[in-house]
Amino acid sequence: MNDAPVERLTRIFSFILVSWLAPLTFAAAPASPRLAIVEAILANEDTGKRDKLEALAGYGDDVIIGLLTAWRTDALFIYEAPDGKKIPVQLIGAKDDNGAQDVTRISDGAPLTDASGNALRLAGSDLVAVEHNAMLRRAMKSVLDLVELASPDQEKRRKAIQAIGFAQAADKLPTLEARLKIEQDKNVILALREAIALTRLIDPNDAVKLAALEELRDMHTLASYDLVQASLKAADTAGNKPVATAARSTLAAIDHHRSFVDFFGTLFRSASFGSILLVVALGLAITFGLMGVINMAHGEMIAVGAYTTYLTQAVFGAGITLPCFGLSLSIPGMNLSGWGFQAYFIAAIPLSFCSAALVGIALERGIIQFLYRRPLESLLATWGVSLVLQQIFRLTFGANNVQVSSPSYLSGNWTVSDIIFGWNRVFVIGFAILIVFGVWLVLTKTSLGLLIRAVMQNRQMASCMGVRTERVNMLTFGLGSGLAGLAGAFLSQIGNVGPSLGQSYIVDSFMTVVVGGVGNLFGTVISAFSIGGLDQIFQQYLPTWAPGLKGVPVIGGFLQNLAQDSSVFGKILVLALIVLFLQWRPAGLFVARSRSLD
Amino acid sequence: MSLLAPRTLSPVRRRLEFIAVAVIAVFLILILPLLNGLGVISNFHLNLWGKYLCYALLAISVDLLWGYTGLLSLGQALFFALGGYMHGMYLMRMIGDLGQHKKPIPDFLVFLGWTELPAFWVPFSSFPFAFAMVLLIPGLIAYVFGFLAFRSRIKGVYFSILTQALTYGASLMFFRNNLLLGGNNGFTDFKFILGYDLLSPITQRGLFVVTAIVLIAVYVGCRWLSRTKFGLVQQAIRDGENRVLFSGYATAHYKLFVFVLAAVIASIGGALYVPQVGIINPSEMTTEKSLEAVVWVAVGGRGTLIGPIVGAISINALKSYATRAFPDLWLIILGGLFVFMVLFLPGGIVSIPSRLKALWQKYRATPPPPPSAAVTLMSASSTHETATVKS
Repeated sequence: MNDAPVERLTRIFSFILVSWLAPLTFAAAPASPRLAIVEAILANEDTGKRDKLEALAGYGDDVIIGLLTAWRTDALFIYEAPDGKKIPVQLIGAKDDNGAQDVTRISDGAPLTDASGNALRLAGSDLVAVEHNAMLRRAMKSVLDLVELASPDQEKRRKAIQAIGFAQAADKLPTLEARLKIEQDKNVILALREAIALTRLIDPNDAVKLAALEELRDMHTLASYDLVQASLKAADTAGNKPVATAARSTLAAIDHHRSFVDFFGTLFRSASFGSILLVVALGLAITFGLMGVINMAHGEMIAVGAYTTYLTQAVFGAGITLPCFGLSLSIPGMNLSGWGFQAYFIAAIPLSFCSAALVGIALERGIIQFLYRRPLESLLATWGVSLVLQQIFRLTFGANNVQVSSPSYLSGNWTVSDIIFGWNRVFVIGFAILIVFGVWLVLTKTSLGLLIRAVMQNRQMASCMGVRTERVNMLTFGLGSGLAGLAGAFLSQIGNVGPSLGQSYIVDSFMTVVVGGVGNLFGTVISAFSIGGLDQIFQQYLPTWAPGLKGVPVIGGFLQNLAQDSSVFGKILVLALIVLFLQWRPAGLFVARSRSLD
Repeated sequence: MSLLAPRTLSPVRRRLEFIAVAVIAVFLILILPLLNGLGVISNFHLNLWGKYLCYALLAISVDLLWGYTGLLSLGQALFFALGGYMHGMYLMRMIGDLGQHKKPIPDFLVFLGWTELPAFWVPFSSFPFAFAMVLLIPGLIAYVFGFLAFRSRIKGVYFSILTQALTYGASLMFFRNNLLLGGNNGFTDFKFILGYDLLSPITQRGLFVVTAIVLIAVYVGCRWLSRTKFGLVQQAIRDGENRVLFSGYATAHYKLFVFVLAAVIASIGGALYVPQVGIINPSEMTTEKSLEAVVWVAVGGRGTLIGPIVGAISINALKSYATRAFPDLWLIILGGLFVFMVLFLPGGIVSIPSRLKALWQKYRATPPPPPSAAVTLMSASSTHETATVKS
């Protein structure tokens, strides 16, 4: 062998590392897996090749997947250099007329060059393909299965471990155990423990099984439920009492954990849905509650806010071209990326407030100011406006939903003992609290708020005192609409943005204001969270109550059938409860006491 | 809140109105179907007119509540669609085993995995039962809902919002397959009604005649009702509910009766609508449809009985035209019309003659009325008068 001393040293070094250290040092930075594969290819005996291949199992490198797959499909070759050195190579790229392809060296992935440094092109038929047999293929497969186990991405690692655990592959057990010894990441360790315990469930030894069940009981992960159940069934049929008892107690632990997760998950979802309702209804609480204007176009104000967010995103990104009544309107983009682009949402919040407020002010000046004394007719006129606006959205932005991407700071989640806290949901809760506080500040601590309250209490009197009621009306309506716009910006992070976005919230938001008591912000807050809570509770627990409905005479089966559709049936139940609630308190939770009639 | 002053009719006008109604009745019941039989009017157009007449029934029911009692119900489309569904169930049973799956139960049930008819479907094979349900189910729902709403004195916009919620809830439910009423596809592909082939022009003509007769009967009935003491109390409730209440009338009972009556009229309209249109699905029972019916009334003229009929026919004729001519702009036209009517023509189309007359009188009148007269007129309760005084 005429190896250059340096290369020889490297090879010796890597050989040592690969053959002895690798199995023990999964997480330590390994020598290049490429070199390990070269070693395996060049090894003399099949058993040697196999040992070297198995040593690869600890590496988490995607290169291994590519090379081993190529090996198994006869795409690796041995190139004999003019000096007689054997160089394992891979042929890649398109074949030319002579069947030649580009050649890369396996040892470093670089193109193979001749002595003068020019890249070589070779045909597969001129080379010797690297051989493989059943034993090697098996070894390669087990390596491939385990590559992801060592992946530097902890999420990938966790998924791979879980997949192995659910497959209950006993032959992977030693690898999992070896990995457990060196794994640092907490979540991955949990996944490993779960996977090992799950795999041990099929162990023939009862003691091992019992230990595994005990472990699973301690971990009570939701995902292990089915496999534990299967093991219970097996133990029951085999008449294995101790194992069956252990499995039952494990299942009970998981059930207990599940109800805990359901409970707190429902609580969180209630809070977040309540906040959404609150954010949506707050604007309405001002226009309807304080001003007494039925604004059926409130939903479209929300949509204005959402579309403003969409436009802001487009401006921060690649720009957008909108069809606008036959013309096409081109808005150039700033082509930002990374955090610059992510910041679009921060800019979208005030923008959506302003745009919706402007539309609201235009609506008030144009139509509503003539209808203050005719509430039913203002309902009709604003509904007409809502139709027009919806159609305008459809014509400019298309009838389909538009894509509003979530900035990274809103799209993650925290998972605390299996309860998922989406950041956007957490954000909407915080945001709701913030704007309720803001609105309260505006209404009670500013002079505008004073004027608003004065005009709403007694328009004539305020007017006599010199308040410019027209202007106050306009600003109040603008404030209410602007809040709807803010709601739109947030809904764009949670649901779809489309022309009929507003329609899906309008009924809910009216209900919230009516239940809360017209003209009372605090009532709106309470009612938003009660309605949100009830809705989520029904959604979560109706299916579990469904069997109980069978007892209802005549329509029992029918109700049971409906209750399966918990999201819709829950909504209907909430509406029914609201109607019943209004029997008890016709004017809502908090009534502004007054001696006047009509 | 009082839009329209009660009018007393002179005997002459009464006779004129009678003649007009008789002429329209003869035209709708006899002449149009005859012309269709002779081939002058195409089946398509007769069918279209049949649809308009059903909508007119819906519009009358809205007007009975809104124009005469001051209750803006956004739930009339629900009752209309319920009537349609009840009749649709009968029509679905009449398909027999001619459906795509060739099973004796409706196709969508086969699709949902049913092998036999659910119990509540069984009696709908009989027409009298289905007809009774057309009257009963919407009437019952209206009764229960109205009882709850009027008992707690929910009125004005609250009533509108609650009826909107009712409609919304019901449409959510009807969109689900679990209700076993066809989900979002609803019912379609009807074949027979009372043993007649539903697709033959003769059956369709018969349906048209029935619709026209029902419409005329409902018109005459409501006209009669509005002249009775009941009708007067009803209009008094619209104009000042508290005064009526304090005069010793149980307004809730009156309102409940009108609400149920309007629900039944809408339901009959829906029941007649389904065999002529050949489809019923949950999109018929949305709030938007209710509001559309309100536009017909507003455009035609609320507080009159002829107004809703004129409005329903003219708006739907416009819709048939506009949705073909400029499909993109139809909703903008409809919305704009809504705004326009509310702002500039609260009395609707039927008020145009009287407005023109007032304008003409104002033009003729020299010298213009002194300011004091204007003030007294201003304080009068009728907007018609105030509108004419505005200079």
